[in-house]
Order: sequence, then structure tokens, then C-alpha cells
Amino acid sequence: MNVAPLARRPLVCLKSAVRQARQQKIFSRSMATEVQATSKPPSRSPDRNFYRVVDKKTKTTRSAFAIYPPTSAGLPLIPPTTTNPVAALHDFQIKKLDPTGARTALFARTREAAKVGDILLVTHRRGGEPFAGVCLSIRRAGIDTAVLLRNHIGKVGVEMWFKIYNRNVAGIEIVKRRLKRARRARLTYMRKPKHDMGSVAEYVSAWRKSRRVFQTKGAKGKTGATTAGGKGGKGGKKK
Amino acid sequence: MIQLKSMLNCIDNSGAAIVECAMVIGQKRHASIGDRIVVVVQKQRDAGAAGMAAASGAKVKRGDIRHAVVVRTRQKVTRRDGSCIKFEDNACVLINKSGDPIGSRINGVVGMELRKKKWSRILSMAPSQA
Repeated sequence: MNVAPLARRPLVCLKSAVRQARQQKIFSRSMATEVQATSKPPSRSPDRNFYRVVDKKTKTTRSAFAIYPPTSAGLPLIPPTTTNPVAALHDFQIKKLDPTGARTALFARTREAAKVGDILLVTHRRGGEPFAGVCLSIRRAGIDTAVLLRNHIGKVGVEMWFKIYNRNVAGIEIVKRRLKRARRARLTYMRKPKHDMGSVAEYVSAWRKSRRVFQTKGAKGKTGATTAGGKGGKGGKKK
Repeated sequence: MIQLKSMLNCIDNSGAAIVECAMVIGQKRHASIGDRIVVVVQKQRDAGAAGMAAASGAKVKRGDIRHAVVVRTRQKVTRRDGSCIKFEDNACVLINKSGDPIGSRINGVVGMELRKKKWSRILSMAPSQA
């Protein structure tokens, strides 16, 4: 393609010349904008393309483009956060949903807190009878912390997850503690027939009876009163 | 997650013990608690006292095609408040085409989701709800 004899080659090619000119023009333009952006040279050589004035007070160049130094004007520099924002949000929400801290304390990692293997009773505010069951696992996830309870209702195994900070959960009570600390975090083996606990109804009824004994004569028939108190009840703690 | 060929327990006294899902009614992939399905009766209750069952009027027979409502599922069902419920088995209650239960009693727990799906007849027949 490029092997045309020299004699026949045109000395000037208009097209290429125009193209070169255009490229140069683009180059000069881009150079101009770069000068604008840095605003290094004071407006000694007046640039016809852009409007720029040196401010008398601040001695800075004002141009048609707003040039913001990184810190002084505009957005203030945000100092790097030291705390985890997600954890902070969870704390805030927990404080809002659990002002007394009773629910947090009930599932904290302390001796007196509820643990897996304990029998818990959850009272729901929106109707239905309270659900009791063995706690198979505690999913600790900030505001989403939940417990898994398992029970048998009429020969059918039923498992329920409850969010402990849910406002609909009126109360969580420890009916019976496990005799020995469970050596697993999640007692999924309790679903197997060999380890299955079956119904916990008898434990719950025994616990109800014992509470009635503890109650004074003035508070007769008030078994549900503490349950519906709205604060994660801890009636079982007296054991 | 009840779909074609799923085997369910029938927990009413209609005479069916085990049924097989033949279709999920509505544009659904699979049925959950409170959904309507079409079932085939696979096993009748009271195989031992067949004469008794026949005398007491087993309303459905093996091979019958009936409608049913799912009342329990093995699959976890999440509720609006974030709590979940999960049963150990899949169970249903037989109904006729107009939606009335065929049996007169239900033995076993049923899911609360039936209330939202307007199956109050079945809920009132059930001994306990969870």
C-alpha cells in the first residue's frame, strides 16, 4: 500500500494537514484547561478563553470554573471514624427498643443469662398462646438477635425463631435451666429422636404452679401480669 | 414447599391418612401454609378396622381426587415480625370445591398463617394453633 513511487506521491495532502492541525488545536485546548485546573501561573498572560480575576483580599485566582481546595471551603474533611458504624447503629436501635436493658441482659454472655438447653417461654403480644420450648440456639446479631425454640405440640415437633428485641414479644422467661451446661453452641442434635425432649408442657405447668406458690394472696390469678409487663421478664431467675 | 408428588399427612377425620399433591392451585411454584392444592388420596385411615371406618362413613377413598389446604410445612415460614415457624411434617386438611372442610374434626396443630389467608373455619376446628 505504501509502495507507490515517490514521483506519484502528492507533496501535500490536504486531509492529513487538516487532521494535524485539528490535533494540535485539541492539544492546546487541553493544555489550557490544565492550566486552569491548577491555577499555578498568575494571570500574567491573559487567557482569552476564560474569565479569571485575582481576588484582592485572598490573592487567589477566580476563574470561570470553581476550584475548591480540598479542605478550606466546601465539604469539611470528615475525620476517619474509629467506631464501627454498623455496631453504633445496632447500639442505638437496641437502646431504643430495650431501654431497660433487660432483654440484652437475658441473653448476654453471663452466668445468670439464658443459655442453649434452657426451656424458655415467649409471650406474644399479638394473640396466640405463649410458646414454650427448649432453646436450641441463640443467634447473636445485634438488633437481629434471635432464639430458636423447639417443642412438641400434639406429637408434632414445632420450631420457632423469635427476635428478642421485637416489640411484639412481650416477655421471655426461663422456665427451667439445663442441669449441666451444654457443650455445644447449637443443639441441633436435639431434633433427632434419640435426644428429642418431647413436649415441655409439663415443665411449664410445674413452673406456673411454683410461681403461684410464690405469689402472695393479693396477686391471685396474675400469672400473666409479669409476662405482659413489656420488659423481657425474668421470672425464672429466682430459681 | 409443597409441589407435585409431595406426600402430606391428612389430619382431619375425612378418612384419608396420606395424600399426594397433584397440583398447586394458583400461579405458584409451590404451596405454603394456607395455600390450596389438589391431592390424590393414597392411604386410608383405619386400615385395620376397615369395616368400622366404612360404617362410620369414611368420606374419601383411596384414589379420590380432592382439594386440600396446607396447614403445616416443613419449610420455615417467616412472619411479618421476623419470627419463623417450622413444623416437623407436611400436613393438610381436605376441603370440597367450595372451600368447606370435608371432615368435621382436626387433630393436630395448624399454622397461624391460615388466619391471614381467610381459612377461619379450619382455624376454629383446630385444637391448637402455632
